[in-house]
Amino acid sequence: MNKLKSGLGSVGQFFADFGHAVADGDIFVKLSLVWFGAGYLGRKQYIKSIIMTLYEAAIIVYTVLVGIPYISDFGTLGTVQQESVFNPVTMKNEFNDYDNSFTILLFSVITLVVWAFALYTWIYNVKNVYRLQKEAERGKHINNFREDLNDYINQKFYVTLLALPVAGVVLFVVVPLFVMIFVAFTNYDQNHMPPSALFDWVGIKNFVSLFGGGGLTETFGYAFVRVLGWTLVWAFFATLTTYFGGILMSLLINGKDIRGKAVWRVLFMITIAVPQFVSLLLVRNFFADNGIMNTILANIGLTGFLQDIGVISNSYIPFLTAPGWAHVMIIIINIWIGVPYQMLIANGVLMNIPSEQLESASIDGANSWQTFRSITMPYVFSVTGPALVTDFVKNINNFNVIYLLTADFYTTTNQAMANSQAKETDLLVTWLFTLTQDYYNYKMAATIGIIIFIICALFTLIVFNRVVARTGEGDFAS
Amino acid sequence: MKKLLALILAMSMALSLVACGSSSDDTGDSGSGDASSSTGDASEGSATESEGDASEAEAPATGDAASGETITLTVWGAEEDQTLLAELVEGFKETYSDYTFDIQIGVESESTAKDTVLTDIEAAADVFAFADDQLVSLVNAGALQSIDEMDAALQNYAGKSVADVEAANSAGSVTAATANDTLYAFPMGGGNNYFLYYDSSVLSEEDVASWDSLLAAASEAGKQVGMTLASGWYNASFFLGAGFTTTLNDDGTTNIDWNGTSSLGYTGVDVVKGILSITGNSAFMAIADGDISNQIASGSLCAAVSGTWDAEAAQAAFGDGCAATKLPTFTVAGDQVQQGCYSGFKLIGVNAYSENVGWATLLAEYLTNEEAQVARFEARQLAPTNLNAAADDAVSENVAIAASAEQDVYGVVQTVGDKFWDPTATFGEILAQNQLSADDDDAIQAALDELVSGVTAAIE
Repeated sequence: MNKLKSGLGSVGQFFADFGHAVADGDIFVKLSLVWFGAGYLGRKQYIKSIIMTLYEAAIIVYTVLVGIPYISDFGTLGTVQQESVFNPVTMKNEFNDYDNSFTILLFSVITLVVWAFALYTWIYNVKNVYRLQKEAERGKHINNFREDLNDYINQKFYVTLLALPVAGVVLFVVVPLFVMIFVAFTNYDQNHMPPSALFDWVGIKNFVSLFGGGGLTETFGYAFVRVLGWTLVWAFFATLTTYFGGILMSLLINGKDIRGKAVWRVLFMITIAVPQFVSLLLVRNFFADNGIMNTILANIGLTGFLQDIGVISNSYIPFLTAPGWAHVMIIIINIWIGVPYQMLIANGVLMNIPSEQLESASIDGANSWQTFRSITMPYVFSVTGPALVTDFVKNINNFNVIYLLTADFYTTTNQAMANSQAKETDLLVTWLFTLTQDYYNYKMAATIGIIIFIICALFTLIVFNRVVARTGEGDFAS
Repeated sequence: MKKLLALILAMSMALSLVACGSSSDDTGDSGSGDASSSTGDASEGSATESEGDASEAEAPATGDAASGETITLTVWGAEEDQTLLAELVEGFKETYSDYTFDIQIGVESESTAKDTVLTDIEAAADVFAFADDQLVSLVNAGALQSIDEMDAALQNYAGKSVADVEAANSAGSVTAATANDTLYAFPMGGGNNYFLYYDSSVLSEEDVASWDSLLAAASEAGKQVGMTLASGWYNASFFLGAGFTTTLNDDGTTNIDWNGTSSLGYTGVDVVKGILSITGNSAFMAIADGDISNQIASGSLCAAVSGTWDAEAAQAAFGDGCAATKLPTFTVAGDQVQQGCYSGFKLIGVNAYSENVGWATLLAEYLTNEEAQVARFEARQLAPTNLNAAADDAVSENVAIAASAEQDVYGVVQTVGDKFWDPTATFGEILAQNQLSADDDDAIQAALDELVSGVTAAIE
């Protein structure tokens, strides 16, 4: 709460300073409200003045040539449908001046980002010029251009360092993110695909229909609830099993009586060394209905036995092709894939446990279980707690394991799920992939994407605040 | 020095971000580029022009706009078509040696062309090959150039009209390339259906006539008969044979009547019971979609339902006994009914956003003409749709293609939308796993109703 207050406070201060600068500034400061370079000119910083003037000119040119034409269509996302006529003389199609909804959306977002940045620099510029005025009044030295540049590799080196990454993040993370968020409020889908067709704003209709408000297949809400349920169940078990599996494995390998520790470690690392798609596709084929595993089990008579007692109805064990079976198998296979990573992490943590604590415990007569429960586990947990949270979020979006084990392989027999292009083993993210890749349902994909984000963000916030913050390393230092 | 290192690190980080995001940048670029270059005048009617252009056919040098500049085209074809494409493109350049071409050839599987093209239509190839089931989606997205509109270009340069193209190819292939009464692509090859491969040393010709005798003979020989059920493309064969249909609406939704009564008087429940009597037989093996080649090779089968692409696998597994024929009949309400099939075709389409759409059309036409189809049959055993090419002796002697043609008599052109696939795959899987009981009419009817509601759902 305090953080929030101080955050709001600094934003308020930013604008208050600006008001102050405008009110108390001299003619040059006031002039820089319309001409960015004016203030620097007044302080004889000519190069800076020219740069700022060019910068302002560039923004104005961009706004007039690109910004305004696109932003003015932002409300409708375009009105002119594409039409073309073939001209047999030039052998080319002649197109009308059609609108492309997606281009309009994209460039509108870019323009908004550019404007936001321009607004920030406008305010910052005025404040900066006012600061210069104050310094001049106090008779302090005003930097020349070379000195300013020098500042950026000395006192303000962090600005130089961060400039490129921030620009990259804005261009390639912020812009696409906003475009995707906007898409969730449009009807961008198979029937409204640019450039041949236009799409339009539909408000929160997609969110309403996602939660069963109609407008989609009758079973969409039904499928969504089930997919969401399995996503959470999967994330819970996948995270916990690999987490504890990794710690146990690491304890086991580091045990006093184990010989050839390095060999064991390397053996388990091999699953990491082999690309996941190779190992997963191989495992998928092992457990196929007509795969090696089923052949072996049929030959030793286990399949027949299971059939006799009525556990399975087919002549094979549907490891990855029936609900229930597939769910359990996927979690088990994920243990095999995920444990080595956790083992590596746990290994590092276990080596750092203060040995005096373990020694004093053994002197006090604690057995190994008590030591594990009261010393090892709390220590490991305090260090890897945050990693546990990120693992959970990562598993909610664990596309690889689910997709490689089930795509084009698992056919659901639940007709209601199939009617919404989902299957029991789908996570939200794999379902989203099917919807966009096979059905071009971008609007629902964006909507589901936002829901996934909200789930992950809420979970992370709550857990970090409640669990991780409480079991900080501070407890252990004392 | 430290600072320099830090700066380099920061830059490389930013660059990696740039590299990751480049795809989104591309879409923006191509979008804006095309938008600014589209300065056409829509009021110019070419429909009337093309009528009068027939007289100009003898003088192909229409306008000097094209003669000087290099015409750039991109072609996407299947991996197995690449060598042939390179040869045909050279032939194309020779045919139109008055013009300068720069033609690039790219690899894009016919089965996934739609996905790649629709990702960014304006960046896709000018000419691309695809399977006919993708036609409707491509047309709805406006990705395909109407060939009917290109009549003038074809007459002026290739010396044939759209009607000539339609007449030269089999009626089924032309139907498959047509949507909304407009021809949208050139038929390139056919035979994309399924039929029965069998081992003639185990099964006789009488055995393979019906599923009942086929399964009885296989059971006696201790072998199995394999077919994919968990795919609408395959399991539709039973319903189509019994007179059921699928049709397509203009908005891309599918009509399907499998839960009702067919034109031949059979009900959907009757057909399902017929299928269940097959799947209930221990000599029948339901094979996962895409797994047929492996199962044929495994040696436990004496017959399998598959297409021309498995000819080599069947030859290897069945040896000298390898034979192929039309699909068997199956029992519906006491009658023997011939199993139908969807006839699939490979088509070559022209991108509606091609810079040189006229030349792209001529290239597409050239890649699908009689000579090209003969060459393609020789290169990859793709059955020609061109009637003259199909009449060739070598074509009719090919075992797989002959069986494919035999089955094609009972085939219908596949007219289904995207929503057809998931519900029918699930329905097939339910049948494959024997989850329905043949005695429970109500449950079968309910499953069929659910299937129909999924397939006919609106496209959102």
